[in-house]
Amino acid sequence: MTVTNTFSNSVNNFLSQKVSIAPLIMFRIIFGALLLFGTLRFVSKGWVEQLYILPKYHFGYLGFEWVQKLPGNWMYLPFIVMIVTALMVIVGYFYRIAITSFFLCFTYVELIDKSYYLNHYYFVSLMCFILIWLPAHRHFSLDVKRKNVTEQHNVPNWTIRIIQFQLGVVYFFAGIAKLNSDWLMEGQPLGIWLQAHHNIPLVGPLLQEKWMAIAFSWAGCLYDLFIVFFLLMARSRKFAYLFVVFFHLVTWYLFPIGVFPWVMIFSTLIFFSTNFHEIALDRLQRLFRKDNSLNAATSKSAPFPSARWVNVTIALYIIFQLAVPFRYLLYPGNLYWNEEGFRFSWRVMLMHKEGHAVFYLKDKKTGRESEINNAKFLTRTQEDQMATQPDMILQYVQFLKAYHHGKVLHYGNEKFTIKDPEIHAEIYVSLNNRLSQKFVDKRHDLTTFAYDLKHRKWLEPFNE
Amino acid sequence: MTRLVPLLLILAITLGCNKDTDDPRPDFNKAALLTNISGEIILPSIGKFSADLDNLSAAFNQFSLDETQVNFEGVQEAIKTAYLTWQTVKIFDFGPIRTNGIKSAIGTYPSDTAVIASYIATGSYNLSSLGNVDAIGLSALDYLFFKQNALNELQTSANYLTYAGDVVAKMVAEFAVVTNQWTTYKATFDASTGTSSTSAFSEFVNEFNRDFELAKNAKIGVPFGKQSLGIQLPEYIEARYSGISLDLLEESIRALQKVYNGVGFTTGADGPGFDDYLIHLEKSNLDSTIDMGFNGIINKTNSFTNTLEQEMAVSVPELDVLYSLLQGHVVHIKTDMTSSFGVLITYQDNDGD
Repeated sequence: MTVTNTFSNSVNNFLSQKVSIAPLIMFRIIFGALLLFGTLRFVSKGWVEQLYILPKYHFGYLGFEWVQKLPGNWMYLPFIVMIVTALMVIVGYFYRIAITSFFLCFTYVELIDKSYYLNHYYFVSLMCFILIWLPAHRHFSLDVKRKNVTEQHNVPNWTIRIIQFQLGVVYFFAGIAKLNSDWLMEGQPLGIWLQAHHNIPLVGPLLQEKWMAIAFSWAGCLYDLFIVFFLLMARSRKFAYLFVVFFHLVTWYLFPIGVFPWVMIFSTLIFFSTNFHEIALDRLQRLFRKDNSLNAATSKSAPFPSARWVNVTIALYIIFQLAVPFRYLLYPGNLYWNEEGFRFSWRVMLMHKEGHAVFYLKDKKTGRESEINNAKFLTRTQEDQMATQPDMILQYVQFLKAYHHGKVLHYGNEKFTIKDPEIHAEIYVSLNNRLSQKFVDKRHDLTTFAYDLKHRKWLEPFNE
Repeated sequence: MTRLVPLLLILAITLGCNKDTDDPRPDFNKAALLTNISGEIILPSIGKFSADLDNLSAAFNQFSLDETQVNFEGVQEAIKTAYLTWQTVKIFDFGPIRTNGIKSAIGTYPSDTAVIASYIATGSYNLSSLGNVDAIGLSALDYLFFKQNALNELQTSANYLTYAGDVVAKMVAEFAVVTNQWTTYKATFDASTGTSSTSAFSEFVNEFNRDFELAKNAKIGVPFGKQSLGIQLPEYIEARYSGISLDLLEESIRALQKVYNGVGFTTGADGPGFDDYLIHLEKSNLDSTIDMGFNGIINKTNSFTNTLEQEMAVSVPELDVLYSLLQGHVVHIKTDMTSSFGVLITYQDNDGD
C-alpha cells in the first residue's frame, strides 16, 4: 500500500512538476513550420489532383468508409485550410482553433484512401492531436499579445514529456519491428534498395555487398532501439543528436522518403534541455525586438486541469500507443505476408513487396468469365498497393461486384445481364527479394468473404 | 551512443570478413546499361523507323503520281515494314516519345473506321485534335491501304488519297521531332541512374513492363475475348486488314527480348541489359526463366500459320496456350525482375516511408 502510494506520488510529481514553457513554444514553432512545409510541398507536387481528384475509387479504412472526398477542385479546400492554420500555429494566433482545424483536415485527407498510408502521416496526425491539448500558445504568440490568453512561463512537465514519449514510441517500435530474420540475417529489404545505388562514387560498389546491407540493417535497428535513451541523457545528448541528423540525412539521400527525415531531425530537438530552448527562444524573440526573456520573468502559471484527470488520460493514451503495435500477435501466420495488424505500428521501410493481380468477373448464369482491366478503376499506385494487401483486395472485390451487378454487357451480338457475379483472383507476390509465390488462388469466389478484422484464411500460405 | 560506434565498426568488419571471397559476382553498371540501351537500341531503332517513314512517304508520293498496282503494293510493303519496326520503338514511351504523345499518335488501334470514312466524305478534319487518335497512325494506314477495294478508292476518290497522304505526312513530321530531341535527350537518359520513380531507369523499367502487358492485352487478350466473357471481338484486332497481327506480336516480343538482353538493334551484339543486372544480383535462374519465357512465347506465336482472325475461328485452345504463356511471363518480369531492381512501379514521385 505504501509502496504503491509512493510510486503513484512520484509519478504524479514527475508529471505535474513545473518546468519552463520554452521547449513547448519552440516545438510549436518548429512543428508548425514542418506542417506548413509538408502541405505546400504536397500541393506543389500536384498530388492533390493526382491522389485525390483524379482517382475514381478510393480505399477507405474499415469503419471509416463514410469519409468521402470532396467533389472536384473542392479537394483543394482542406489543403488551403491546412496552409492557413499551419501559419496560425507558428505565430500562435487563435492557436487552439488552428491546430484543431489542421488536425481535422489532415486526418480527414488521410482517411480518404489507405493506398497512401504512411507511418509518418499517422505520426503527424497523432502529434497534432496531442498539440490540441497543450498550452503551446501561452508565450511568444499573437494570442498572448492580443491578450486572448494569459501568458504563462511554466507548464507541467507532462506537456513536454508526452511529445518525447510519442517520438520515443516511433523510434522504439521501429526498432522492435526490425528484430526479424529478413532484416537482421538477410539484410532485406535494405539490400534491394542499397544495391540500386551503384552509381554513387566510391561507396557504390560497397553497397552491392550483402554484408553491407546487413551492417546497415543492424545499425538502423540499434539506432531505432536506443537513440531515444541517448537523447534523454544529458551526457550523451549532443552526440546522439549528431547521430540523428546523420542517420536521417543518409536515409534522405538513399531512399525516396520525402519529408520524414526532416520531421524527425527537427522534432527530436524537443529532447534538448530547457536551457537550450530558452536561449534559442530568446534569440528568436530578439529578432522581433521582443525583450522579455523567460529567465527574467517571474513564474507565472495559469490554472490547469486537475492532475488526476490528466494522469488518467495520459495513462490511457500511453496504453493505447503501446498496445496497438502488438495487435498483430492476435493473428496466426506471417505478418509481412498476411499484413494483419500491420499499419499504425511504426513498421517503417520493413518490406519490399511487389505483386501482380488479375481479377476475374464470373457470370453465374452462363459460367463465362472476363478478366478485369484494373486500370479502368484504379490508378497505378492504387493497383500496386492493392495487389499485395489482402484487406484492399477484398475492398476492391466488393467494389467490382457492386459495379457489375445489374450491368447489361453487350459483346458482338450477345447480351449478358450480370446478376450477383462471382469475383475470382489470381495474385502473385514477391516479398523481400524472394521469387514470387502465389498469394491468392483462383479457386475462391472472393465475394463470399467478409471484409473485417478476422484472420483471412483464403490467402495462400507463405513459404520461407 | 559513444559506445555504439566501435560496436558497429566491429560488427561491420566481422561481417565483412565473413563474406565469401570466391564470390564470382560479375560487375554491373546501370550507367553502362542505359548507355547501351540508348546507343545500341533506342537510337538505331528510331533511326530505322524514321527511314521507314521516309520510304513510306516516298512510296506514297510515287503512287500519287502514278496510281498503278505496283506502286500501290510498294506503299503496302512500306506500311508493313514501318509497322514491324514500330514494335521496337513503342517500348520507349518516355522522354521525347512521351512528351510528344507519339505512342498514341502512331500506335493507337483499332481505328474508328466510321470516323475515317466520314472525314473522307466531308474532306474536313483536324487530325491533330486529341479526339482523333483512332483516325490516324499506322492502324489508319492499315485500313486505308488494305481494306477491300482500297486501290480502287484511292484511284477514284481524291479525298481518300488526300486523307491517306495527310496521315503519312503527320507521322513523318511528328516523328522528326522525336529523332531530333533524342539526340540531346540521350545524355539525360544515360545519366539518370537514380532510384526515384521519375528517374529514366525507373521509367524505362516501368515502360518495358507496360509494353509487355499491352502486347498481352491489346494484341491477343481483347480480340480473343479475354475481357468480354469469352466473346471474341475481331474488330479489336491490330492490323486486321493487312492480317499481320501475329507478325506484329512476334516482333514486339522479340524486340522486348532484345531489350531485356541488351542486344544491339543493328549490330546484334550482346551488351549490358536486364539479364546482366539479374546475374549481378545472383539471380541467374530468374534470368534463364525469363529468357526461356520469351523464347516460348515467340515459338508459340510462330506456330500459327494463318492470320489471328482466322486462328481465332479455329484454334481457340492453342491461342489459350499462347495467352497463358504471356500471362505467366508478366509475373516474372513485373513482379520478380522489377522488385529485384528496387524500382517502384508507379508514375508519381512519392513520400515513401
